[in-house]
Amino acid sequence: MTHATWPGSRRHSLVLSLVLVLAAAWVGCRHQDRDRLEIALNWKPEPEFGGIFEALHDRIFEANGLDIELSGGPGAPVIQMVVAGRTAFGIASADEVVIARARGSDVVALFATYQTSPQGLMAHAERGFDSLAALLAAPGILAVEPGLPYVKFLGSRYDLSHREVVPYSYSIAAFLTDPELAQQVFVTAEPIAARRAGAHPQVFLVAESGYNPYTAVLIARGDRVRDDRGRVTALQAALREGWRRYLDDPSAANAWIAEQNPEMDRESLTLAAAAQVPLIKTDATRRDGLGSMTPERWSTLAEQLKAIGVIGEVEEPTRYFIQPGS
Amino acid sequence: MSAGWAVRWLPPVGSLVVLTGLAEVAIRVGRVSPLLLPPPSAVLAVAVSESPALLSASSGTAIAVLVGLGLSAVVGVTIAVGLSTSRFIERAFYPYAIFFQVVPIVAIAPLLVIWFGYGIRAVIASAFIVSIFPVIANTLAGLLSVDPALRDLFRIYRAGPVDTLFRLRLPAALPDVLTGLRVASGLAVIGAIVGEFVGGGGLGVVILGAMREQRTDLVFAAVGYASLLGLALFGLASLASHLSLRRWHASEKELG
Amino acid sequence: MALRLSGVTRIFRPTHGDAVPVLEPIDLEVGRGEFLAVLGPSGCGKSTLLRIIAGLDRPTAGTIGWLEQGTTGEAEEARSIAYVFQDAHLLPWRSVLRNVTLPLELAGGGRAEAESIARATLEQVGLEEAVDRYPAELSGGMRMRVSLARALVVRPRLLLLDEPFAALDEITRQELDDQLRTLWLANGMTVIFVTHSTNEATFLAARALVLSMRPARICLDHRIELPTDRNASLRADPRFAAQAGILYQALLSGNRR
Repeated sequence: MTHATWPGSRRHSLVLSLVLVLAAAWVGCRHQDRDRLEIALNWKPEPEFGGIFEALHDRIFEANGLDIELSGGPGAPVIQMVVAGRTAFGIASADEVVIARARGSDVVALFATYQTSPQGLMAHAERGFDSLAALLAAPGILAVEPGLPYVKFLGSRYDLSHREVVPYSYSIAAFLTDPELAQQVFVTAEPIAARRAGAHPQVFLVAESGYNPYTAVLIARGDRVRDDRGRVTALQAALREGWRRYLDDPSAANAWIAEQNPEMDRESLTLAAAAQVPLIKTDATRRDGLGSMTPERWSTLAEQLKAIGVIGEVEEPTRYFIQPGS
Repeated sequence: MSAGWAVRWLPPVGSLVVLTGLAEVAIRVGRVSPLLLPPPSAVLAVAVSESPALLSASSGTAIAVLVGLGLSAVVGVTIAVGLSTSRFIERAFYPYAIFFQVVPIVAIAPLLVIWFGYGIRAVIASAFIVSIFPVIANTLAGLLSVDPALRDLFRIYRAGPVDTLFRLRLPAALPDVLTGLRVASGLAVIGAIVGEFVGGGGLGVVILGAMREQRTDLVFAAVGYASLLGLALFGLASLASHLSLRRWHASEKELG
Repeated sequence: MALRLSGVTRIFRPTHGDAVPVLEPIDLEVGRGEFLAVLGPSGCGKSTLLRIIAGLDRPTAGTIGWLEQGTTGEAEEARSIAYVFQDAHLLPWRSVLRNVTLPLELAGGGRAEAESIARATLEQVGLEEAVDRYPAELSGGMRMRVSLARALVVRPRLLLLDEPFAALDEITRQELDDQLRTLWLANGMTVIFVTHSTNEATFLAARALVLSMRPARICLDHRIELPTDRNASLRADPRFAAQAGILYQALLSGNRR
């Protein structure tokens, strides 16, 4: 047995191999960065993105050949980010898509999480309202986000003159202290928090009024859909699978969400996940699959937006979306 | 009129026209999405077509700004007088004045709405908080830099503290008070708009709504109106400065 | 007003550094209606002495006594002292007239009465045309005359002047010297005039003190041997030069210590 020290040639080849490995890794990383796709969320990590977190957590994206990174948060200008190319994908609502297209930006919807919009108005149950119309007709403060199309829609349908309309700042503090105040809510969020704070909220879905845009919709710029169709289709499929698993059992993804968003505790997450099921899983999705969309819904929405003067012209409804699984 | 007027106004207006023209060309040639940056012509068109709504909103903001600024002036000068009475008091309490400077108004605004309710009172409070510090700081500097010989003079005549304050220290500090108000006027507009984001009313709500409706041109137009409001206030403060100081203060005498 | 200083000393104690003695024990008596000039090298402490007399500064040791027949106390004295600084130090935001009414306003007088007294005083210094002008519009000499008028408007028993004309040109200075002496003869107040000009002291004063370098002591206390009636031509008189020379010698030797 010879105790071989490292002869020169061997040492050289070792160094060479090391360099090559490092170079390959470096090139590989760069290559990977180009493959990484960003989804910009429009709120904090919450059950409204449950299917996305499930897909990330369970490596469903990976299984579909996708490298996904999440970004965004409350107040992120998702539409602008997608239009500017800052992010490949984003989460927005259907009315934002129609408006953006009317303003000249080519964005397309790819997956509609909420078939029924979770947008609602919340009042104290002690007021005894029996309908959205009753709530809107009563006096008191109405806290809504200025400029949201549903507000204009409600304003065109109902007489809001009794109500003092003020901006909504994403806090239920004013609601808890003012028994006459009504405010905008996402049914999966504020009502749950209000109940936990000891109030008795009564919620009416905006959809009740006939205004019902798809919500938490995955969007991308038109040119990405044309040039990268393969990965778009894969993403739609991954999202569908992610939501399927999340609706089946949200606990694993919820644990992960709780880590990302310390403001939400396990109980709120569970309640929210349960509250949203009937909004996500409907007859339409049982027929066409989770996240599916119809031209009729888009057409209705566009006409509504045109009627209240937010947009000028409507488009051929199939231009607004790409059906998942197509 | 002609020569002096042209020298005064041609440079700023001229540069504005040139820069706006350049921006217009660059944005159109570059095919920038109007969602991200609308060309000046679009902003101007909206500023005109929506002028009834924008003027109405501006007047709401303007009222809050004027009241907030008025409060800043009165309370600010009073606080500065208090701080100037002794070194000990100045050291003990000036840091609280600095608090007004550094507090992030975006975080405070919701609290203001909780305390004052929705509506103009919270907006006035917001404008006040943001604009008071320059008044305090400048007035205090003016009060502390009174000519020592004049203070000796007042001592020789056995003038009491009230006489000394009203006949010597405050008039001597007037140029600094007016400088402080000039700075405060722009800040008051910012404070009011942030207050309106949370409390409602005025240009703040127009801006929020325009952003949500993806009408970037309207956002810029509303911001333009807000800037004009700030400019008008600055001009008013400068006019007040000119009228009250022109006979005796170096700063106004040079401008003639 | 007559005053007596006994053993007045002043030591400056800065927060950093050693104590600086500025005035050695000064003993001095000034008679009623006297015109006293105080001379000394720059920085010797003559301004400090004046400020102590004015009440703007406290002596470290020693006393100041006032001898006034018929006075009832400090309040009376207070109104009776006027001070003229080296710079006019007018209130720039007030007109000439309102600058001169200031001491009367501070004493609580009525507006109309104050204005008429002020106008009269301004006439005394030859500024009746300038009553509505502002200090920024006046020349150095005119501003100094306003300052004088402001000092005289309260009819002071004691007028203190700290190198008031030093910043002015020679001609204006001599004019103002003339005017001051005339006013003194007319009003009869006691005047203490600090200067570093031996010529000025000789022309104006009946008596001159020469102080040494810091810490200041009195090197010379000299009665000016010149007639009471003085006019501009006196400056050419050889007696004038002789008197000035005495003061100058004392200044030199005090400077050398």
